[in-house]
Amino acid sequence: MVQTPEKPVTKLPPSTHEFAEVIHRLEAGGAMLPDTPENLMQIIGIYKAYAVPMDFYWRDLLYIAERVFLNPFAFFKYFIPKEYLERHNHYAGDDADLRIWRGEATAHPELLAFIEKGETFKMPKLLHHLFHDRINMEFAEACMRAMLWHRHMYAPVNQFDSYLDSEEYKANADRAIKAYFQGNPLMLGIYKLFPDMFLEQCRQMSYYSNLGLFWEVMAPVFFEMSDLYDEGKITSVPEAMNFLVNGIFAIAGRPIYHHVYIRGECYEIISKSKGFTWLYEAALPYVEAVFYRTAPFRGTKSYNAQAKQVPDDQKDFHYGILYADVFPVGTAGIPPTLLMQDMLHFLPPYLVDYYQQHCRGKEDMLIQLGISFQRSMYCVTSAVIQALRTALLYPLDDTNPKHLQANRAFFEAQLNRFCRPEYGMRDAARLRDIQTQDYR
Amino acid sequence: MLSVLIWFPILAAALVAILPRKIPANRVRLGALTLSGLVFLWNIFLLLKFDITQPGMQLQEYLPWNETLGLSYKLGVDGLSILMLLLNTLLSWIAIYSSSQQTERPRLFYSLILLVNGGTAGAFLAENLLLFFLFYELELIPFYLLISIWGGEKRAYAGIKFLLYTAVSGILILATFLGTVWLTGSSSFNYDTISTQTLSATLQIILLVGIIVGFGIKIPLVPFHTWLPDAYVEASAPIAILLGGVLAKLGTYGLLRFGMGLFPQVWSILAPTLAIWGAASAIYGTVTAIAQKDIKRMVAYSSVGHMGYILVASAASTALSLVGAVAQMVSHGIILAILFHLVGVVETKVGTRELDKLNGLMSPVRGLPLISALLVLGGMASAGIPGMTGFIAEFIIFQGSFSVFPLPTLLCVVATGLTAVYFVILLNRTCFGRLDNDLAYYPRVLWSEKIPAIILAVLIIFLGVQPTWLVRWSESTTTTMVAAIPPVEKVETRYIASLHQ
Repeated sequence: MVQTPEKPVTKLPPSTHEFAEVIHRLEAGGAMLPDTPENLMQIIGIYKAYAVPMDFYWRDLLYIAERVFLNPFAFFKYFIPKEYLERHNHYAGDDADLRIWRGEATAHPELLAFIEKGETFKMPKLLHHLFHDRINMEFAEACMRAMLWHRHMYAPVNQFDSYLDSEEYKANADRAIKAYFQGNPLMLGIYKLFPDMFLEQCRQMSYYSNLGLFWEVMAPVFFEMSDLYDEGKITSVPEAMNFLVNGIFAIAGRPIYHHVYIRGECYEIISKSKGFTWLYEAALPYVEAVFYRTAPFRGTKSYNAQAKQVPDDQKDFHYGILYADVFPVGTAGIPPTLLMQDMLHFLPPYLVDYYQQHCRGKEDMLIQLGISFQRSMYCVTSAVIQALRTALLYPLDDTNPKHLQANRAFFEAQLNRFCRPEYGMRDAARLRDIQTQDYR
Repeated sequence: MLSVLIWFPILAAALVAILPRKIPANRVRLGALTLSGLVFLWNIFLLLKFDITQPGMQLQEYLPWNETLGLSYKLGVDGLSILMLLLNTLLSWIAIYSSSQQTERPRLFYSLILLVNGGTAGAFLAENLLLFFLFYELELIPFYLLISIWGGEKRAYAGIKFLLYTAVSGILILATFLGTVWLTGSSSFNYDTISTQTLSATLQIILLVGIIVGFGIKIPLVPFHTWLPDAYVEASAPIAILLGGVLAKLGTYGLLRFGMGLFPQVWSILAPTLAIWGAASAIYGTVTAIAQKDIKRMVAYSSVGHMGYILVASAASTALSLVGAVAQMVSHGIILAILFHLVGVVETKVGTRELDKLNGLMSPVRGLPLISALLVLGGMASAGIPGMTGFIAEFIIFQGSFSVFPLPTLLCVVATGLTAVYFVILLNRTCFGRLDNDLAYYPRVLWSEKIPAIILAVLIIFLGVQPTWLVRWSESTTTTMVAAIPPVEKVETRYIASLHQ
């Protein structure tokens, strides 16, 4: 079913790269993922299944960043109040700033149904939580923490991060911290003694906000793609990818900020006026931190310093979804399991049918959907690569061979990330696997 | 009463054999399963009627048959055989359950298993030497067919090897039986009428050696064991369960009943040799298992090791060590059965038995998690981890034998340590690690493949935490048997006693 790539428009000689086929496809406006109906169905179905928990993630992330803030005993941080479930997504509904999804601006109906009933039956939220019948919010926090820990990515384009160390940020944070602990001499005393402790927590909260604002965009994008696919308006993988590219450019300039609400008053820790934007301050660091890097899975790598399995340099981290081994999903020590478990509840029926025909059917759906998720994230990464190429280099139909050569060099440099021999990166990268349907 | 255990399965075998051709294999299997289940239930019923306080034969049956040959149809059950009978019927049922739904030539397959079931029961029940021999030989051809029709790649070779070794074993046993009866001038081959008291010690020793070698092939003891790895490995899983679980017990049972039972006076003279032989066998079996690359071969060699302990215990012949020997026979039967069954499942699902290829089967979604978990349990039970039946049996053996043969007993302890070594190798290579992403698309495990292992696992743990149910049946019988053996030349005992003074 692998479609042969269309011939490049101009006469650039064939690439000699080991992923030459993929590079030719990218040059022809395609994705890293082969354009087959089966792939399209999988990635769109997964976007839909991913978007529903994501709708919860962004709401809860913002709730934690804005309301829970520095609560030392945040026992109930995963219980979002009604107000946040009804909070209008800025990119959906009638009053949207920029309408991406034609649906509701409030929480997705499937999400509301899941919050109410879960996999079992209607019972108080606390019981759902205790029986672990819930959205695995820990996964969203793990992504946030990956971004926090892999700071200094994409500098100097990404200025959000260096701002967190600026005096201005510290002053803003100081005001919010003092207001938050007002009337609590114990916490204020601790703050006096160890000022950096709460400051660092505050930085983490800023990343909660950053990721929440990033996903506020992605959820409606994925919902809309699913709807367009159902309506027959997306018919190929490049079309899906181009929708993402266009979405990225439309949304690129949206503000990234961190506001905290304490006793009805808004403290602007990172104000909108700082001019931090969605593309450079959230999307690119996110892709780098979560798709490529994250942290080694506790169940696959040894952190033993003498064993030298984990790289010394954060740049060499290669544990994101593009490299992840999905087969041990469901095992101890494999973090993506949390997300796979979340997506399992919201699979569209056509994907459930599809999985039932393969491998172990219902029994190993968790892994099958994990591999589809990997495919779909390769599609998203392709969109990011194409967007970067559009922003930094030349159009694909450029007639100047030098420009095309520059494009090619860019694509090759991107794919070289999947070929590096250090720390077994080359074997870990799943780019080669997703080229065929045998990998499921 | 007892005859039912023999003739019901044999009649059932005949019935299954003449079933119409058009009945599909899974129906034949179901029929065989029901019939063998009935036998098992009957066996449980007999167990309830069994009086554990009585040391002698119970529920006896007698029919004169061929007076001139001295052959009579005389059956009885005592503490030594009651558990063996139960093991036989249980494992036959398990073997049928664990056979494939689509077995080829199902009628022949299941009728042979039922025939084996009846024959083995007959051997355990027979109170007449010739009758025992008849049933003993009855095993020969069915097992040969079961190995060489439904076996693996080298089944023809393995089948013939098994046939030849077992035939030689039969010849030796028959020769000794005839010799014993003629030399003692006994009127018949009935077990209770034979008394070897009148024979000279030399003659008795010669006869006993015949018995030991004859049954030693079947057990098997070390130089005579070479048929075992081939036969166990080439046989399909259900047949391997029967071979290891039941047939090997026929050897140790024969040794105890006809070796120790008929020649108590000279038993103690040969005992030291036997003890060293058993210990050497145990060490050899475990060391060889460590070197194997094929998991079924490992399990097969584990059998050689475990049978060595039984020999040491029989040689020590204290009341305790004999109880241990019987317990070890039962434990080994069920542990080997679960291991062979699980290895069979792994082979059918993964398509290989190679240690170098297997990996990561514990993985919960794509692997075989329950099968691997039970494999870990079976391995631990086999290595003598407390809480499971293997430990109970081995510990009783060690406790019972140490006072008589300290050195062989210590060697056996070393052997259990080495058993843990190769089972950890096996479990590490098969269950742990990560799945190969190119190959790991294994089919799911059906419930019919899980149930036999679950039943056996429950039994292993139950007998491990509640061992009374393992030892209470044989206590009075073995105490009586030991009483017949004159005080052994227990040099080491005296030596140890002197150390205490």
